Amino acid sequence: MGNRLRLAAILCAFWWIPAQADEPASQETVQSDISTREIYIQSNFAGIEIVIFGSVDFSHTPSPDEGDYDVITVVRSPAEPLVVRQKKRVSGIWVNRAGRTFQEVPGFYAVLATRPFKAIAPEETLRTLGIGFSNLDFGKTDRDDAKEAAFRSAVIRLKQDQNLFQEHDDGVSFLGRSLFRASVDLPVNVPIGRYTTDVYLFRDGKLISKNESTLEVSQAGFERAVSLVARNHPFVYGLVAVVIAVVVGLFGWVMFRRE
Amino acid sequence: MLQVYLPIAEVSVNLVVMLGLGAAVGFLSGMFGVGGGFLLTPLLMFSGVAAPIAVATGANQIVATSVSGALAQWRRGNIDLRMANVLIAGGIVGALVGVLLLRLLSQIGQAELLISLTYVVFLGAIGLLMLVESLRVIQKARAGKPVPARRASAHNWIHGLPLKMRFPTSRLYISAIPPLVIGAVVGLLAAFLGAGGGFIMVPAMIYLLRMQTNIVIGTSMFQIIFVTAIVTLLHATFNQTLDVVLALILAAGGVVGGQFGVRAGQKLKGEQLRLLLALLVLGVALRLLLDLVIKPTDVYSIAPLLAGS
Repeated sequence: MGNRLRLAAILCAFWWIPAQADEPASQETVQSDISTREIYIQSNFAGIEIVIFGSVDFSHTPSPDEGDYDVITVVRSPAEPLVVRQKKRVSGIWVNRAGRTFQEVPGFYAVLATRPFKAIAPEETLRTLGIGFSNLDFGKTDRDDAKEAAFRSAVIRLKQDQNLFQEHDDGVSFLGRSLFRASVDLPVNVPIGRYTTDVYLFRDGKLISKNESTLEVSQAGFERAVSLVARNHPFVYGLVAVVIAVVVGLFGWVMFRRE
Repeated sequence: MLQVYLPIAEVSVNLVVMLGLGAAVGFLSGMFGVGGGFLLTPLLMFSGVAAPIAVATGANQIVATSVSGALAQWRRGNIDLRMANVLIAGGIVGALVGVLLLRLLSQIGQAELLISLTYVVFLGAIGLLMLVESLRVIQKARAGKPVPARRASAHNWIHGLPLKMRFPTSRLYISAIPPLVIGAVVGLLAAFLGAGGGFIMVPAMIYLLRMQTNIVIGTSMFQIIFVTAIVTLLHATFNQTLDVVLALILAAGGVVGGQFGVRAGQKLKGEQLRLLLALLVLGVALRLLLDLVIKPTDVYSIAPLLAGS
């Protein structure tokens, strides 16, 4: 498989770099890549696991168990506007009443870390990097407004229910002195778009290196054709749908009519 | 097992379940001689399809079932084309209003609620009426009394309206206004509920227009092809809520189920059929009502921001 080959190639490459390097004392840097750079959603799509693997160059760690380094990986899809509504009981019936629009909510967002990420780095660093649900800003949010906060946490809760927001404290594991891997499940309802995966390398609570890669999630084949036509030529799409329905109806009549 | 990803609804559904749903609704519509949209749309909503997509896709599905039905009626000469044209003219106006109304309600987050509420009212009322009527007939038949047929009175206020037209097939000379209004109401309901509206149109044409029952059924089936086709087109164009893959799966199940339904229906008496249908309709209404009154597991819900809101 392409993925395995690529992993092997990267493994070999990284294995030799530290040995060849003249200055073992150089600043550590992190390299990373994703098992799959393109994900195509077709009719049989049932979710997919992606693996993010990477390596720490100029690792100072004597053995994998020492754990000088911490890695946090953030996978996110493009932000999109989202409406959150709150139901209230009005004469016995639950009706959508108050609502808030958040302009920038990632469709998918996952934080993977070697250990609880709040213990890896100070809150301020995490906030600047947008690591963790509580540090997402969703566009403009007034954190002090209690009502706004309730809507915010509802978005996070509902996204978590759909597996579209994930936090995994043990999502990244070191395989050797410098090699690590992280895996995350993209559920069946993942939004399409260009995802970014940011890999942050920490030592003693300090960010020492960062690496970014992208992942394209798109519809493919028949599904892509259908949604493209539906979006760009909606009238033609509707017309085709009607023609198909008429043909199915005619077919049913011809097949089953009893003379 | 056999999950199919729907490109527009952007959800994954079970192919076997959806084929079964189409077949079950087709079976019932064949058995009772109804379009089945009023059952299909709520059932789609129960299985997790968003209400506006259930409505648009339900309308498209009715095109398929009513083509089969109307062809059979046409061969028996049961279609009043002139009446159908007037109904369709009204239907186009109603459909346009319904589609735009649904778009507006989706933007303010009230589409789901109003679709459910309208269904509860219509299904509840019609279910109750049919239940009472069929129970009464069954009771009288048991007591051995003859069942008096309803008699249409010769004249009513309809005959006082202007714009009179001649409908030779129905042997009627009446104003075009009532059929236009009936057509518009049916178009509105088709666009808003994803149902053919036969449950409104058939009694209205029999009791208000005094048309013969067999011509009413044929004409209703014929005109509903066009109204639901227009509704499908409008929803696809304005709301982009039509999922053609889902519609195709449902239609395939529906056409097959419908044929078995017709055969099953011939083995039951009219009042027994109506009693069963009444219970079914009431069951769906009750389930919709419960969803509205029982406290939801989460009072918050999220939805993508629609353009224009």
